[in-house]
Formats: sequence, structure tokens, C-alpha cells
Amino acid sequence: MADAAISVAELRKIYQVPEREAGLRAALRSLVRRRVREVPAVAGVSFTIAPGEIVGFLGPNGAGKTTTLKMLAGLLHPTDGEARVLGYQPYRRDYAYLRQMTLVMGNRNQLQWDLPALDSFELQRAIYRIPQTEFRATRDAFIDLMDVGAIVSKPVRNLSLGERMKMEIIGALLHRPKILFLDEPTIGLDVTMQRRIRSFIAAYNQRYAATVMLTSHYMADVEALCQRVIVIHHGRVRYDGPLAGLVDRFAAYRQLEVSLAEPADLSHYGEVVAANGVHVTLRVAKAEASRVSARLLNEQAVADLTIEEPPIDDVIEQVFAT
Amino acid sequence: MFDLYWTTARTAVMVQLQYRMANYFYMIGMIAEPIIYLVVWSTIAAAQGGEVGGYTPGAFAAYYIVWTLVRNMNIVFTPYGWEWRIKHGELSAALLRPVHPLHFDIAYFAGWKFVVILLWLPLAGLLALLFPPTLHPTWLEVVVFCVAIWGAYLIRTMFLWLLGMVTFWTTRVSALYELYFACELLLSGRLVPMALLPAWARELAWFLPFQWTFGFPIEALVGQLTPHELLLGLAMQLLWILVGLGLVQLVWRAGVRRYGAVGG
Amino acid sequence: MSVLRLAYHYLRIGALNELQYRINFWLQLMQSAVALTVGLVGLSLVFYHTTDVAGWSRAELLAVMGVHILMGGLIGALIQPNMLRLMEDVKQGTLDFVLIKPVDAQALISVREIRLWRLVDVLVGMVVLGVALVQLGETLQLLALFAFGLALACGAVMIYSFWLILTSVAFWVIRVDDMINLFEGIYAAGRWPVGIYPAWLQGLLTFVVPVAFAVTVPAEALTARLDSSTLALACVLALLLFLLARLVWRTGLRRYGGASA
Repeated sequence: MADAAISVAELRKIYQVPEREAGLRAALRSLVRRRVREVPAVAGVSFTIAPGEIVGFLGPNGAGKTTTLKMLAGLLHPTDGEARVLGYQPYRRDYAYLRQMTLVMGNRNQLQWDLPALDSFELQRAIYRIPQTEFRATRDAFIDLMDVGAIVSKPVRNLSLGERMKMEIIGALLHRPKILFLDEPTIGLDVTMQRRIRSFIAAYNQRYAATVMLTSHYMADVEALCQRVIVIHHGRVRYDGPLAGLVDRFAAYRQLEVSLAEPADLSHYGEVVAANGVHVTLRVAKAEASRVSARLLNEQAVADLTIEEPPIDDVIEQVFAT
Repeated sequence: MFDLYWTTARTAVMVQLQYRMANYFYMIGMIAEPIIYLVVWSTIAAAQGGEVGGYTPGAFAAYYIVWTLVRNMNIVFTPYGWEWRIKHGELSAALLRPVHPLHFDIAYFAGWKFVVILLWLPLAGLLALLFPPTLHPTWLEVVVFCVAIWGAYLIRTMFLWLLGMVTFWTTRVSALYELYFACELLLSGRLVPMALLPAWARELAWFLPFQWTFGFPIEALVGQLTPHELLLGLAMQLLWILVGLGLVQLVWRAGVRRYGAVGG
Repeated sequence: MSVLRLAYHYLRIGALNELQYRINFWLQLMQSAVALTVGLVGLSLVFYHTTDVAGWSRAELLAVMGVHILMGGLIGALIQPNMLRLMEDVKQGTLDFVLIKPVDAQALISVREIRLWRLVDVLVGMVVLGVALVQLGETLQLLALFAFGLALACGAVMIYSFWLILTSVAFWVIRVDDMINLFEGIYAAGRWPVGIYPAWLQGLLTFVVPVAFAVTVPAEALTARLDSSTLALACVLALLLFLLARLVWRTGLRRYGGASA
């Protein structure tokens, strides 16, 4: 794709980790020549993302998600491979590029702790040289959208975690970046806060056709926002495609929710995931699903039976297990 | 760029005004040091028949009272803070912004200085009551002083940035810092006026930036420098600012390359 | 004495902890060496221009410096860290854990922390003191040595009491860093005999922040300048200050209990 917003080809990041051995002699030896081990954090990743897409970037801790995001944001220099965002090479950190992107990390805060968020917004305006009228319009629209009008003049230290995160996101988007890297933007927040931030991101994406890469531990974030997911594990892409396809590809099983007329042992039909009186959840191979259901209906007093796809969390876990 | 400096400095003023009590305690804690020097040297001057190295007790009082302001102008982002900056992601955040982070430090601490100067005035008045200073500056001296304290501020900003950036390569730096600060203390005019140092130490100091951040601004106001010496001092300050700036650019580039390679 | 046993156990654990970070020993050694060098250079600068300061000779001032370093090491290793921990505990509400223990709370909060490597300064101070005594050419009387030890102990008790009062009264007003900064600034004045300071400052350094008793008086004991009445005064004041500190601590504790209820 020539007009991709983000394109990454065989991107690699290898860390040099000094080997440590016990003992004084080893310590002295290491003064002269340090033994290093190479740890590939990202081991050849390729994907392209079109302008305006929201992509979920999934993987367990240590999979290379944050390293990849940091390379795309220009914080880390790739060891090898090619990354281009909006046509820029991120690690060169051209100011023209930095003005068009933002990186939000859920557990990091850039706001002035002792001042109202409004003052921090002023600082953002000065940094990104946002024209006054545009700045005011954007700011007020965002404040409205996040529903934080009542608290923007309170010192940040007096805000709750969720409120602070809302301010953080507003501040990070005031310069209307075209590219958003969101690393766990909803971590530690309660469900209503998560929902509000989610809808804000969706609205921002709609209004400015911004490209979003999002990592999250909350599947609800991904399900609500992303049509497409990229799953990364051990520094490699394991899956890249629509969220629904993930289930097809990796979930080699189906779940049968069975309601019986009277309790019975169904363990010889498949793996019993949960049994609660007459309600039993069975896990069976995808190919077997219809045959097993037929047998069940024949052999047991079944009141109700549905075949379901497994929950996305389970699927992801399975992807990582392989 | 002016907008950035203005907004950042204003932010600093707002934050630091909230901490005015803490700022005050900090300044009071710092006052002990010059009072000690002042008392010791006044005692010696009195015992030596009224002056030592050209300084009378009144001149010492003037020197060490002005010292307190210059000391405050010398406070910039500490090199010890770099480890914190890197560890807490502040450096990453700074790298994401389309502005060189040096601008922030210069602007932020400059804004802070205005709060400091405001708080310093009553303190200086009190000190002048306790230790009557002999101070008759000319207009030229006042003007040069007002410029020189900012020159001092910029030189020290550059050199402590240089020190702090060593953290890009290793975090075992406190010994280096201690050594640097000790040399600075002895050769800058902070411990004693430069005139009281042995001749060889004064010569050594000529090749170092220290005296232009401390001794020179004080002497510009309280000393008997000729207009020629005053201008020469400002020129030396400018020279050291440029040297510092060049080195900062060089080391910063290498440091960021290193940071990008090993990660935060 | 259960307090001593308690102190011993905490000391042991603290020491074991600190022994894990041997690099800190070298850093402390380096730091102490730099501080000592600066002190010595300062002293030679003074004597580059004069032969005595307010009646104190060079060797005598070296002795004062030795005591100052020694006492500074004690404060930094034993007193200050405990007080910092106390302030932290009050702020975090974890002081409760101390109060539920079946021991005298003041004893417990006073012995919990130790910065083992700061004791390097105690050694450095003793070496400096030894050099000074050799330069003075004095033969040490056992009595003088005893007076020195007693004066030193009184000084330490006074500094401890001062810190405890400060901590009990002031922690909600002043930030911890500022408090240390303030104390260290004033303590630095003890590098010189308090007699050289103007009268109002002498009063401050004697009765508000007891630097005079912590440094100058022990140094006087070693340089044969101390009369027995000053030593007696030091003992009495140390006791009074200690009692006052205990009273303030108790009052503060009652307030703490009231506030957290």
C-alpha cells in the first residue's frame, strides 16, 4: 500500500543484555570484557495500517508490544528493518512528524501535578504551536466530549485516577495528531470511565480520520473499537486480520451450552468446562460440534442447546499457548 | 519560541508560588553556609587589622549577601535528576515533543528564578541589618550584575546538563558529581572570594567556567572591577555559554542515539 | 534492657541489609574523602591568611573538624534515618504498625533504621581527631578522655531530642527534604567553634539547635579548654531536653491517635 499510514517491514529490535556471573573474579573480568547476550524483543514484524484504521495490538506482557510502539513513536532505534509512519522514519524524530502523532501511556502522567489541567493545556499549545482560535475550539470540544467541564480548573492532584486520564488524553490530542499510539489507555479505571474514554477515542477517530494503534488488557476496549487486531507473541506477528477471524483461526473448538431436564454426567461427550445443576458447558473440537450436538439431542433429555464461539479472552490465551 | 518560553516560565511561577513556603525553607537552609563563611572571614579580617586580601568585614558582608542571590541563580536542574527522568519516562515524553528539551529547563528554571528573587529580597534586607555591608555600586556595575547573574545561570545550566547526560551511559555517577561540585566550590568564589585563593589556584580557575558563574557576578556588584574588567567578564560568560551549548548539542545527540539503542 | 536488645536486633538486620549493597560503601568512602578534602582546603585557606581564629590554633580547629565529622556520621547513620522513617510512617498511616507492638513506641521508632555506611564518617572523624591531637602534642589524660566521651554522649542525646521534637511537631508543616536541608545547613556551622559567631547566633546554636554542645563542647574537652561546670550544664541540659522530647512525642502521639480515629 503506497498510502499506508503506518508500514512496518521486518522490524527488529535486539537488546544487548550484559551477562552477570557470580563471584569477584567474574566481576573483575567483566570490567575488561563484558559478555552480552542478545535478547530479541521484536524479531521481525511486518504490517501496514491504512489511514483512519483503529487497530488493536495484542499480546501478553513482554511480547514486544511496547517496544514496537516505542519504535514507531521514535523513542527506540530499530536494530534492523524498516518502519514508516506518514512517510517519516520515526527514529529521526523530525519535528514535522512529532507534531502529527501522540503516544499515550496509561500509567504515565505528563500533566502539571499542582496546577489545573487547563494550565497544562496552555503548555501543550505553546509546545505544538497551535493557533489560539483552533486551540480553543479543540479544547472546548474535547472538554465537552469527555464531560470534564466541571473539573478542568481543579488542580490535577485533586482529581481521581480516571479524571486524570481523561485530562491526559485531552492534552495528548490537543494538537490533533493524525497518528495515535495508545498504550493501555484505560488501565486501572472503572467501567464507566473506560466506556467514556472508549467513546471519545471512537469519536476522535471519526472526526479527524486519525489512525489509532491501541494496546489493552481489556478485551472490551478492543471489541468496542477495533475491526482489526494484530496479535504479537515472542516478538513475532501471530495473527493479523479481523477480530472475528481470530476466533475462526485459533479457536479450534466450540462451546455447547446445554440445559438438561435432569442433571446428568456429560463428560464422555467432551470437556466439561462448567456444570451448574442442569446447565452444563461443554468444550468440543470445532469439527465435532455438530455431531456431538446431534448425539446429545438423541441420547439425553435436552431442554435447550446452543453452539457458541469461545470468549475472545480464551482465544487470545490459546494463541499465546501455541 | 517566545510563546513557549513565556508559557513555560509562567507555569513555573504558578507552581512555585504554590510552594512558596517550601521555597522559603530551602532558602533559609541555604543561608547558613554564607553566614558561616562571612563570620569566619570577618573574624580573620578584624584580627588582621581590618582587612584580608582587600576585603574589610563590611566588604565580606556585601560579598556574602550578594552571594545568596547568585547561589540561587546557580540552581538549575540537578544532574542527579536525570536518572529519575529516564526511569519515570519523562525523557521519553520529552523526546516525543517537537521541541528540544533544553528549552524547557531554561525556561522553567528562569521562571522559577523570578519567584526566588521575590522571596530573596526580604531575606537580603534582614541579612543587611545583621551584617552591615559596604556597598557602593556604580550604575554600570548594577547593569553588568543584572546581566551577569543570567549569564551565570546559563553557564551552569549547560554544564550541569552535560554532567547529567552522563546518565545516558552509566548511572554510577554520584562520585563524579561529588568531585565536580567540590572543584566548583573551591574554584568558583563560592567558598572564598577569588582574591583570597593562592595565585596558582587563581590561574587554574582562569581556564575553568566556575568563576564566571559565581565569583564574577558578585564582584561585578561589590568589587572594584574596572569597566574593562566588567566587559571582559561578560565576554567570558558569553564564551562559556557558547562552549557549553556546543558540548550539550554534541553529547545530547550521542546520548539520544544511545538511549534509542538500549531503550528506557 | 529490652530497648538495647531491640536496638541490637534492628541494628543487625539493618547491617545485613546494607551489606548487600557494598558499592554504597565505596560511594560513601569517596563522598567522605571529598568532604574531608574540601574541609582541609578550607582550613588551609584560612591559615594561609592568619595564624589563629578567635584564639583557636590550626591543630585545635582540626580537632573541632574531627568532632564535627564524627558527630555528623552518628547523626547520619543513626538519628536522621529513624526520624525520616517516622515522618514517612505518619504520612502513610503505617505508624499504626509500631503502636500495636508491645514495646515502648519511642524506643522502637528510634532504633529501626541504620545507615551503616555513614559510620565511615565516624572513623574518618576519629582519624582527623587523632592527627589533631598528635599535632597538639598533648598527652591524653584519662579524665579528659572521659569528659570527651561524656560530652559527646550528651551532644548526641541533645541532637536526638531536637530531631524528635522537630519531627513530632513540625512534620505536617514542613516538607521532609526542607527539614533535612535546614538542619544540615545549621549543623555545618558547627565546623567552627561557636565562640566565633555573633552573640545572637551563639544563642541559636546553643539552645535552639544544640550544635554547640554536640561539637564545640566535646572538642573543648579534648583540647583542655573545658571547665567542669560547662560539662555539668551539658549533662543537665541533655536530660531536660530528653524529657521535653519525650513529653512532646507523647502529646503528638495522642494527637495522632485522635486524628486517625
